[in-house]
Amino acid sequence: MNTNLKISNVTKIYPGCVANDNVSLEFNSGKIYALLGENGAGKSTLVKILSGVIIPDEGKIYLNENNLKLNSPLDAKKNDIGMVFQHFNLFETLSVFENLIIDSDEQRESLREKIDTIMKKYNFSIDLDIPVLNLSAGQKQKVEIIRCLIRSPKVLIMDEPTSVLTEQETSELFLSLKKFSEEGILIIYITHKLKEVMQLCDEVAVMRRGKLVSVSEIKNENIESLANKMVGQNLKTIKKKKAKTSSDQLIKITNLNFTSEDPFETNLMDINFSVNRGECLGIAGISGNGQSELFQILSGEIISEKNSIEFNNNYIGDLNPQERREYLMAFSPEDRLEQAAIPQMKIFENVALNNFKSSNFFNNGLINENKIKEHSKKIISDFNVNTDNIELKSQFLSGGNLQKLIIGRELITSPDLLICFNPTWGLDVGAINYIHETLIKINEKNKSIILISTDTDELLKLSDKISVIHKGKLSKIMNAEEVTSEKLGILMGGAN
Amino acid sequence: MIKIVKRDQPSRAIFFFTPVLAIFLTLVAGGLIFFILGFKPFEALKFFFIVPIADKYGFSELLLKATPLCLIAIGLSFCFKSNNWNIGAEGQLTFGAIVSGGIALLFYEQEGFYILPIVILAGAIGGMLYASIPAILKTYFNTNEILVSLMLVYVSKLILDYLVVGPWSNPEGFNFPETRQFSDSAKLPLLFEGLRIHAGIFLALAAVVISWFVFYKTYLGFQMKVSGFSLKTAKYAGYKGKKMIILVFLISGACAGLAGVGEITGPIGQLHREISPDYGFTAIIVAFLGRLHPVGIIFASLVVAITYLGAETAQIFMQIPKYTGQVFQGMILFFLLASDYLLFFKFKFIGSKK
Repeated sequence: MNTNLKISNVTKIYPGCVANDNVSLEFNSGKIYALLGENGAGKSTLVKILSGVIIPDEGKIYLNENNLKLNSPLDAKKNDIGMVFQHFNLFETLSVFENLIIDSDEQRESLREKIDTIMKKYNFSIDLDIPVLNLSAGQKQKVEIIRCLIRSPKVLIMDEPTSVLTEQETSELFLSLKKFSEEGILIIYITHKLKEVMQLCDEVAVMRRGKLVSVSEIKNENIESLANKMVGQNLKTIKKKKAKTSSDQLIKITNLNFTSEDPFETNLMDINFSVNRGECLGIAGISGNGQSELFQILSGEIISEKNSIEFNNNYIGDLNPQERREYLMAFSPEDRLEQAAIPQMKIFENVALNNFKSSNFFNNGLINENKIKEHSKKIISDFNVNTDNIELKSQFLSGGNLQKLIIGRELITSPDLLICFNPTWGLDVGAINYIHETLIKINEKNKSIILISTDTDELLKLSDKISVIHKGKLSKIMNAEEVTSEKLGILMGGAN
Repeated sequence: MIKIVKRDQPSRAIFFFTPVLAIFLTLVAGGLIFFILGFKPFEALKFFFIVPIADKYGFSELLLKATPLCLIAIGLSFCFKSNNWNIGAEGQLTFGAIVSGGIALLFYEQEGFYILPIVILAGAIGGMLYASIPAILKTYFNTNEILVSLMLVYVSKLILDYLVVGPWSNPEGFNFPETRQFSDSAKLPLLFEGLRIHAGIFLALAAVVISWFVFYKTYLGFQMKVSGFSLKTAKYAGYKGKKMIILVFLISGACAGLAGVGEITGPIGQLHREISPDYGFTAIIVAFLGRLHPVGIIFASLVVAITYLGAETAQIFMQIPKYTGQVFQGMILFFLLASDYLLFFKFKFIGSKK
C-alpha cells in the first residue's frame, strides 16, 4: 500500500528565531527522501514535530489524507511513524531484548519470534540477551531500528544516523534502508552530509534558516549544487597543496602511557609519533577511543612524564598548558562552550584566557585591559569574526564565529604547533571552509598541526600523515595519499 | 494569559534587583508571621527594623554587628567566586580569636603600641591556619571542603570551650568560663565615648577596598572568575588550580580570623564561650545577598545586621524569642534563591489570540 505523508504550512517560532517558517512538503513511499540543511536550519525541529516531540505553532500534518494530531511521541508511534534519533535512547545495563520490549504490551514469546523474523529478514546479527553496553554504536543503532520495525511503521525517520558510525557500518545501514524502502516504508533521512545524500537518496529537500529552499530529484543535483543551496552562496572548494616534505622534527611523543582512575575514560597505551615542521598529522577515530585523553596530555591539562613529550628539543611532558604556550604550542579543545571559552564572559576576556607572556595581558599581577582589547580587535578583524563589539558576551557569537575567535586567539601568538580537536564540529559549511583554509595556511607557513578529528573527510582533506586511534592505541602512521576513507573506517573499527 | 519564558540572557538589572525583592518579600512574610502570632504586623516590623537603629547607640550597634559580617563575607566571596565552598568561616573566626586571644593574654597587664598589631596579626594567622586544613585536604586528598570546613567549626568551638574552662580560665574568675581581661594595649580602640563601635570597622572597610581591587583589576581576580565559571577552562588556560584553592582559603580564613579578633578585642576584651552569634554562618547569606560584590556586601551586611538587633528588641518589647532573627535571616536567603528564578526566566503577558 502506498503511504503519503504531507506537511502543510508548518510554522514553529522560538524566542528570537523562526525554526520553521511555513514549511510544506510531501513524501511518498517507495522513495528515500533526504532532508538536508546546516546546523540550525530547522530540520531537527521539523522531524521533532513529525515525531510528536514538539507541537507546531501552526500547520497540519496528514498521513494518507488523515489529519494527525501529534501531541506526544506516543501519538507518532500509534500513527506508525518511527524515529531513530541521533543519540540513542537505550538503557545500557538492560539486555537488548529488554530494551526492545520495554514499550510494548505484546507477549514476550510472540515478540521474540517477531524480532527473530525481522533480524533474519534484514541480516542483523545481534545477541538479544547481552546488555546493550556491550554493543558497538552500529549495533545499538540496529537495536533502535528493530524497535521501530516491531511496530511495522509506515514512516521511518533517521536523524543524522551516521555521525557515530564507521564507514563499513554506514554502508550496511544504507543497504538496510534501501531494503526498507523497497518494502514500502517511507524513509526520511536527515543529514548535513552531502556525500550520503548523493549515495542513498532519491529526492532531496533543502532547508536554510527555517525555510524550505528547494525540493529536487537527486539525479538533477551534484555535491556542489547541493552545497550552494544549503549555504545560500557559492562556495569555493579548498584543496591543500602537497606539502614540501620536511625532515625537521618538531614534536616527538615517546612511549606515552596513561592510566586513568576514572572508569569512563580511556587508557592510552604506548603512544609513539612525531610531527615535522610544516606538517599536519591527522588522528582519526570514533569518538571515545582516547582522543580526549590524548588531547589533554598534549595540551598539558594532564601532566605526563617529562621525557615522553619532546618539543623543539625540550622535554615538556611535565609542563602545564600555560607553560607549554611559552614554547610556542597552541591548543583548540573540542568543547567550545565549556572549555575553550566561557560564554558568560566578554569576547576580550575570553581572549585573555591565552596568557602568552609577551602579549603582556597581565603585568605584575594586574590586568592590562587596553592591551587585551587591542589584541581582541586584531583577532576579530584578522579572523573574520562577525562582530565589531569586543565587549559582547561570547554566548552571542554563533558557533562558527566563536570557533574563529578561539582559533584566532591561539594563532595570534604565531605558535609552531597547533593542536586542535574536532575544530569544525557542529559548524556550518561556511565556517568549516574558513577554518579549513586557516589550517592550510598554517602549514604553508611551515608551522605544524596535530588534528584530532572524528570527521574522516576533514582529515583526508587537511592531513599529510594520518593515524587512527582505537581503544587508546594508535595505528601506524600512514601517508595521507595512501589512505582511503574505507581503509580508515576499517582501522577505526579496530581491525588491523 | 501569563506565560513563563526563558530569558535570552540573565538580566544585569535583575541581578541587582532580586536582592531588593528578596528583602521586600521577607518583610511581607515576616509581617504575616507576626500577624499570625497575634501582633500588629506594621508595629512589629517597626520594632524589628526601625526602633533598634533609631538612635545613636542603636546605629553604633548596627555597625558593630555589620563589621564582622562584612569582613567575613568579603573573605568568603574570594572562595565562592572561584568555586570553593568554604562553609566553615565560623570555625576560622573562632580559631583566629583563640590565637589572638592567647597572644593578648601573654601581654597581660603590659602596655605598648606594638601589642595590638601583634594581636591582630595573630588572629589573621590563626584564621588562615584553620582555613588551610580544608584547603590542603581538598587539594591533596580530594576531600570535600564543604564537609571538612563545616565539621571543623565544631572542633574549634570545643577547643575554645576547653581553653576558657580549663587552662586559660581566669584564676580570679570564680570558675566562670572566661579568661582574664586583656590589657588596654591589646584592645581595639573605641571610636566614640559611650558607644561600642570600635576600630575593627576600618579593617572591614579596608577589606572591601582591597577585595574590589583584587576582583576587578588583578590577574588573580581574573583567574578566580574563570575558575568560578568553569574549572575545565581554568585547567585549559593553565592556571595553577591547587595554588589558587589554597590562596582563596587563606584569604577567607584571614578575614574570618580578623572578625574574631574584633569580637574579642573590642568592647568585650576577653575570651569566653560565646564569642560569635554564628556570624560565620550568617556571613554566607550576606555574601550571596550582596551578590559577591564588595559594595553589595556592605549593604547586605547592614541589612542582615538589623535582624540581630531587631531580634533583641523584639525579645524585650514583644516577648518573642530572639531566634526570630534567624527566621528572618533564613527567609532572606530563601526568597533570594527563589527570586533568582527571575534571572533566567521572565513572565510574559499574552493577549488571548484566537
